[in-house]
Amino acid sequence: MNRFALAFRLPIIVWQILFFLGPLIFMVAMSFFLVKNYRMVEAFELKNWVKMMTRGYVWDSYWLTLALATLTTVAASLAAFPAAFYLAFRTSESLRRWVIFLLIIPFFTSYLVRTFSWYVILAESGVINGILGWLGLGPYIMLNTMFGTIVGYLTLTLPLVVILQTVSLANIDMRLVQAAQNLGCSSARTLWTVILPLSRTGLMIAALFCFILAFGDFVAPYYLGGSKPPTLPILIIDTTKSGQQWPRAAVVAVMMMVTLFAIAFTTIVLAYRKRTSK
Amino acid sequence: MSTWILRIWLGLVLLFVFMPIIFSVVFSFNSDRFPTIPLGHFTLHWYQTIWADPDVWTAARNSVIVSLSTCVLATMLGFCTAYTDYRYNFRLKGAYLALILLPPTIPLIILALAMLAWLSKIGASGQLWSIIIAHTVLTAPFAMAIIRLRLNQIDQDLEAAGWNLGASEWVALRAVVLPFCRPAIVSALCLTAAISFDEFAVAWYVGGLNKTIPVLILEIVQGNIDPQVNSIGSFVFLTSMTLVVLAQLLVFNRVMWRSA
Amino acid sequence: MTALVKIDAVEKRFGDFVAVRCMNLSIDQGEFVAIMGPSGCGKTTTLRILAGLEQPTSGKILIGGRVMNDVSAHQRDTPMVWQSLALFPFLNVRENVEFGLKMRRVAVQERSRRAIDWLERMEIADLAGRMVDTLSGGQRQRVALARALVTEPQLLLLDEPLSALDAHLVIRMQGVLNRLQRELGITFIYVTHSQSEAFAMADRVVIMNNGGIAQVGSPRDIYRTPANRFVAEFVGRNNILTGNATVGGIDTAVGLVKTTHSVTTGSAVTLVIAADQIAISRKPAPGAVETKLISEEFVGSVVTLFLEAGDGTEFKVQLQERALAELDIHSGGSFHLTWPDNIAHILPISPS
Repeated sequence: MNRFALAFRLPIIVWQILFFLGPLIFMVAMSFFLVKNYRMVEAFELKNWVKMMTRGYVWDSYWLTLALATLTTVAASLAAFPAAFYLAFRTSESLRRWVIFLLIIPFFTSYLVRTFSWYVILAESGVINGILGWLGLGPYIMLNTMFGTIVGYLTLTLPLVVILQTVSLANIDMRLVQAAQNLGCSSARTLWTVILPLSRTGLMIAALFCFILAFGDFVAPYYLGGSKPPTLPILIIDTTKSGQQWPRAAVVAVMMMVTLFAIAFTTIVLAYRKRTSK
Repeated sequence: MSTWILRIWLGLVLLFVFMPIIFSVVFSFNSDRFPTIPLGHFTLHWYQTIWADPDVWTAARNSVIVSLSTCVLATMLGFCTAYTDYRYNFRLKGAYLALILLPPTIPLIILALAMLAWLSKIGASGQLWSIIIAHTVLTAPFAMAIIRLRLNQIDQDLEAAGWNLGASEWVALRAVVLPFCRPAIVSALCLTAAISFDEFAVAWYVGGLNKTIPVLILEIVQGNIDPQVNSIGSFVFLTSMTLVVLAQLLVFNRVMWRSA
Repeated sequence: MTALVKIDAVEKRFGDFVAVRCMNLSIDQGEFVAIMGPSGCGKTTTLRILAGLEQPTSGKILIGGRVMNDVSAHQRDTPMVWQSLALFPFLNVRENVEFGLKMRRVAVQERSRRAIDWLERMEIADLAGRMVDTLSGGQRQRVALARALVTEPQLLLLDEPLSALDAHLVIRMQGVLNRLQRELGITFIYVTHSQSEAFAMADRVVIMNNGGIAQVGSPRDIYRTPANRFVAEFVGRNNILTGNATVGGIDTAVGLVKTTHSVTTGSAVTLVIAADQIAISRKPAPGAVETKLISEEFVGSVVTLFLEAGDGTEFKVQLQERALAELDIHSGGSFHLTWPDNIAHILPISPS
């Protein structure tokens, strides 16, 4: 290999090992450290793991986070699909590009500010209850509920899911869809037997991204869900920020990583399975 | 007919996505501390408050320093990786690419904890440049993706044509590959700057006492309901959107290709 | 004449695949050499080796008497006209042409003057300020030529440069290339898969197959006296018969074929009869092969008839369209083929 090629590769590898791989490996190691007199001591003990794994509240948080993220993934996938379907099949190329551009905008507005905005909109005396009040309804309590959390998660994930679904639907070879309809397949059956199988990989990857985002977000459950009980990311923040218990936070983080890895692996295997076997 | 249902559905999705953005701008000009319907009267009070707040100015300065440094570093990293991926095949290339591309798939809070612990360990936490390091790792994959897509469009012979006409590898890189990638490089600079400008979890963890704008927002929101957040948010939104629109224009507008 | 380029026992492998095998070729100053062959035969690899874009696995490349193996691409003076043209889309026409001069650190004024000179020579001076993606195919072709020639090299490499052009433009550009090569007196090495391009322009044609040279010769040599079966088939429009040499001629499936060549009695031989040398008639004649018409193909005013003899041997006969009327080809019946004895070309024992 010549100097030229090396000059491009080596600095990047060193940088990423130092500042990406290094931190992650150190965090795993840290989950075995001890804290004595509010100071972290490098050691190799299972204490943190035993402590965290035997606490009921950790598992409550775990299942709650898993359930909320799953629910969000299902909700986002279902909500996004008709919109993506419209963008992929029923509109012009230029309109599609414009809407996708619109959907990119939220990624560059502060998620915190949007969440804060929802907080005011959803509040008991907020905008929505104000409108409902005119109609003689409500007030409904939406803040500090699971509903609030999921609204927050959807704010974060829905634009991405719509974009990814649209891209995967738009990539379907339209001749196959036309062939199916030409052979007398009804619209609904075409959807089930042609469109969904053909776009499965993209739809599942979209769902996976949605899950990862929701699973790792702490803003929505904290400000809109009231964090009772806390989700895993909130648990990490509480343990690091107030308790100085970095090793225990690391245990939670490793639990999250392992869970995410397992889910991502399964999803990817399922998403690509048929393609490789045929 | 069903097209109409789909169209309305898309409208609802867009409404849901844009409602918090629109309301936050509206609230920033609204006199009520806790807005509801009907709205209070128009005011610039919240903007005056942040204008007069030295903390906001410090945070803005930090944010600008961080996002400018980040975008330059991340785009350099992204370019090198994209070029390596485009030009070379080697053993363990998959691992190499994973090393660069994986950060965005890891929840920010985990990355924040890991970065904080590691940077403290090597004595590099709590500084403004700690945030720059972390944000570079976080945003480089986006720069890589944009530049890689551009390199997909390059005629394989173009760089070789440069060598053939007397350019060494380094010169051809500067005289052929870089000008070809210019629109993508500018896009990558804008997008990575915008992401860095909005990121709060990692910045909050590794920045110590150095607050960026989003971290400041986070701390204000933790305290109480304060419409200042909306005015800062609108300001941040304007900055990010300028960057994004600029990036978009450069990707789609071929007139901008012209070299100076 | 001295050899400008010498390819000395060059071999190129990509893993297990041999792209170029033990190639020897010497090319003179001022020669126009076409390298022709089916795709994957190693012709483009050979050109890239000459340009320094590939390293030969073994063997030597000499240009102007100097061994070039360790000279990197950018230090060689071997500009190339690419199949894709590879014009720089971010530069305008003049800047594209100036590129090579800029790399050689020619002063700004001087390089601008020389670029404009060449654009005038190529009759596209009025396009100097245009971006290349606004040009037509023919115009881009001229820019690519100007860009390659502006440094006044001894050798120009051309990799299927006309393959993207319309048929009428190809003929025009062939004229341009031929004129340029004569005026400049430099060596052109021209890679193509098109017979008509190679035969129309080249002094010498190199036919490659499977990484090796199948035949080197003038276009006429290759056409009339193919060295082996591959060349005979690749050149097309040839009828190939196999048989055994006997006393009176060659005993083939369609009967005894006479030949003026001397052959060893009893040996197996392959005969090549050019399609445009066969006479076709409705009237039987002694020694004629009786055939039935299968199909016909028109290209311009030239017609190719595909015929089949009683035993299934296929024949191709090429004739001018106006000769067709008297044959009345669509009324069925047989056609009788004859050819002069000295036309049947005998291939050397081919290792197939």
